[in-house]
Amino acid sequence: MRRREFLTTTSALMGGTLLYGVTGPALAQAEPVRGGTLIWGHSETTQNLDMHQTGTASTGRVLQNVHDSIVTVDKDLNVIPNLAESFEQSEDGLTYTFRLRSDVMFHNGEKMTSADVKYSFERCANPDTGAVNFEVFNAVESIETPDDLTVIVTLGEVNAPFLSRLAENGAGVVMPEGSGEEQGNAPVGCGPFRFVRREFGNEVELERFDDYWGGPAYLDKVIAREITEPTVRLTGLRTGELHMINDIPADRIAEIEADGDLQVVSWFPLNWDFVNFNHDFEPFQNPKVREAFDYMIDKEVLLEGALWGQGATTASPSYPTSASYKEELGQRPQDFEKAKALLAEAGYGPNELSVVFKVTTNYPYHVESAQIMLEWFRMAGVDASIEQLTWSDWLSQVWVDKDFQISMMNFFTLWEPDFLYYSLWNTEGAFNYRKISNAQIDELTAKARVTVDPAERAAIYKDVQQVIHDETLDVILWFRNGTIGAQPSVQGLDTIVHPNGSNLQFHKVWLAES
Amino acid sequence: MSYLLNRLFSMVLTLFLISAITFAVTNILPGDVAMMIMGTQSNPEALAGLRESLGLNDPLLVQYGRWIGGMLTGDWGTSLVFKEPIAPLLLQKMTASGLLVLFSMTIALTCAIPLGVWAAVHANRWQDTAASSTAMLGVSLPDFFWGIMLILLFARGLGWLPSSGFVDPADDFGGAVRHALLPSLALGLGLMAHLTRMTRATMTGILNQEFIRVARAKGLNESTVVWRYGLANAVGPVMTVAGLQIGYLFGSIIVIESLFNYTGMGWLTYQALLNRDIPLIQASVFVIAAVVMLSNLIVDLLYAVVDPRIRLS
Repeated sequence: MRRREFLTTTSALMGGTLLYGVTGPALAQAEPVRGGTLIWGHSETTQNLDMHQTGTASTGRVLQNVHDSIVTVDKDLNVIPNLAESFEQSEDGLTYTFRLRSDVMFHNGEKMTSADVKYSFERCANPDTGAVNFEVFNAVESIETPDDLTVIVTLGEVNAPFLSRLAENGAGVVMPEGSGEEQGNAPVGCGPFRFVRREFGNEVELERFDDYWGGPAYLDKVIAREITEPTVRLTGLRTGELHMINDIPADRIAEIEADGDLQVVSWFPLNWDFVNFNHDFEPFQNPKVREAFDYMIDKEVLLEGALWGQGATTASPSYPTSASYKEELGQRPQDFEKAKALLAEAGYGPNELSVVFKVTTNYPYHVESAQIMLEWFRMAGVDASIEQLTWSDWLSQVWVDKDFQISMMNFFTLWEPDFLYYSLWNTEGAFNYRKISNAQIDELTAKARVTVDPAERAAIYKDVQQVIHDETLDVILWFRNGTIGAQPSVQGLDTIVHPNGSNLQFHKVWLAES
Repeated sequence: MSYLLNRLFSMVLTLFLISAITFAVTNILPGDVAMMIMGTQSNPEALAGLRESLGLNDPLLVQYGRWIGGMLTGDWGTSLVFKEPIAPLLLQKMTASGLLVLFSMTIALTCAIPLGVWAAVHANRWQDTAASSTAMLGVSLPDFFWGIMLILLFARGLGWLPSSGFVDPADDFGGAVRHALLPSLALGLGLMAHLTRMTRATMTGILNQEFIRVARAKGLNESTVVWRYGLANAVGPVMTVAGLQIGYLFGSIIVIESLFNYTGMGWLTYQALLNRDIPLIQASVFVIAAVVMLSNLIVDLLYAVVDPRIRLS
């Protein structure tokens, strides 16, 4: 389904940023009931359970229910109070004062105070912790706690994205003081569910935390069975062993939707994909060659072929309903003549350019996409071949060593534009594995970082997108849909997806009597 | 006794060599565990910090010494990726795989021995053809095919057994058996075919030997001849093959484990390798190697029990 179509069919239904579609039967019981154990077929294996140290979406998806962050976002991605009942920023943009709620209890029975916040922030910032998001605190000069419910964070320089980065558990999570050592295999937080146990590689058990400050959840327990094989997950759903599964394989969605006994929840977007050029590889130093490759790709056909149409093409990687999304930016159409002409202008005649496409088997649809693109590259007179890499090989060759010519990757919707554009396209960006170095982008992304006015910031990021597109720094392909399949008894599915599009929250989910 | 001591000594030596080779090879592989933990969230600064905190910057000999020292003092360490203590993790996965191996071996032997004997007794007649064809079918089709068929029939169709998952027998023995049954059947079918062919071949040879003719000439009834005289002599070779299969199964049941989401030793070792989690790789390979060697040793010792002609020295 195209994005606009998705928008018109579903936004009337749900509204908001995350666009839902629900098909199939749901048992008609309007009043939520308490009780029951929900068994969820989780598509991935959880790793290190320490919220600071884990970089995987799979673990974050489960821990979303165990932890809470100091602030959070609403469905329109505005930063709103959470564990802090209010927050304010000084006029010079350097001081943030958080006033904490007085009724937050941790799962260990302790009450949350400002000391826990200070401990959590300092632990994340400490390089010895090995925290994935430690750079969020790079500009922090001091964290003061004048009383039990006040935290004052002072920055050495303006860092506009600071507050919104705290809205995600990775940096903004509050853990009990001194609990760092145990977080890795027995996480303790103040979320709606208490971690009970993990049978590694098998299942994670969560139990309702009755003293949750946001009111107790409906479910007694959530058991997340880790089932990485999509067909095994689907069989479990069909036999009734599982109440719900996430990530239905794209080629099986139509079949499940047609099944009158199951519900399908799909939302937009889950993540986005792009094709990468190594800007150190001589031919790709010439923007004409990069543009030529863009002209070889029919994005709509590719979406259909590799993802069975489960997503929407886009030329902008900004969160689709965010202020910085440049909707008017169109993708280049497929045009082999133009592609050949551009290659000729760059000095490459037919079959004079050969490239190797490195793609990871970790994402099977990337392999399928590369195979389709390979044919198009050949039709445009490029001698192309594919090298399939395991995840660890891809990370080591492409991400760390930058030893590739052309590749493909996806990212979860990094809705904070600084996190997205600075990290990926600034010369100094942490995720700039394509060795991109563009003076305009560097200047714009640095300027946005110290621009506090939201409208002004959004305008800068739109300019960034224009440069990415004009210079074909990468080829942005599409946003991919997220999906859940569920038994009719599972209710409250409209609340299950976190505004970030990846995490699942079970606070308001309940089981109807079937 | 000195035979046993010798064997145990050579086992220790082999295990030490295996651990050194595993350590060397996993360090040659591209990428490291820090990269796998951070994935596409990593940046050079954070990676460097994580490497330091995991002790990956220490010289290789120091890292290996640390591991072997830990092993000798009973400290198997903690998985770097999953932050789980390794010893209980291995115990749990060994229990899971052990249950599968035990069940599939029981299923295989219970069916294979009578079938193989039946085929040998009726050599070159229709019974032989029927038994051999059944065995051939079992060997020719991969175990994941049987797995899918069993899921379709018993889980999807009849709804008698769960399609996936593992339950710890300490928590719920009945549940553990129910969860292990389908994967064990899938494994057991291929194994059974193998052992049927082995039993048939051995028994055919034995039934043509002089002492069997003498037994028959003495007027002993046929079942005594076949089961008491024939099979007693065939048990040795069949046991050897079965014993080798036990060790092999522990490391190779990964396909069936994935198909049934029954996470055992095969799965754990594969995860450890994929994630370059060196302490976990070391420990899993070590345990699998020890199991293979121990099962071989036990088979050799049993040989002396079932065949008094054999003296171990």
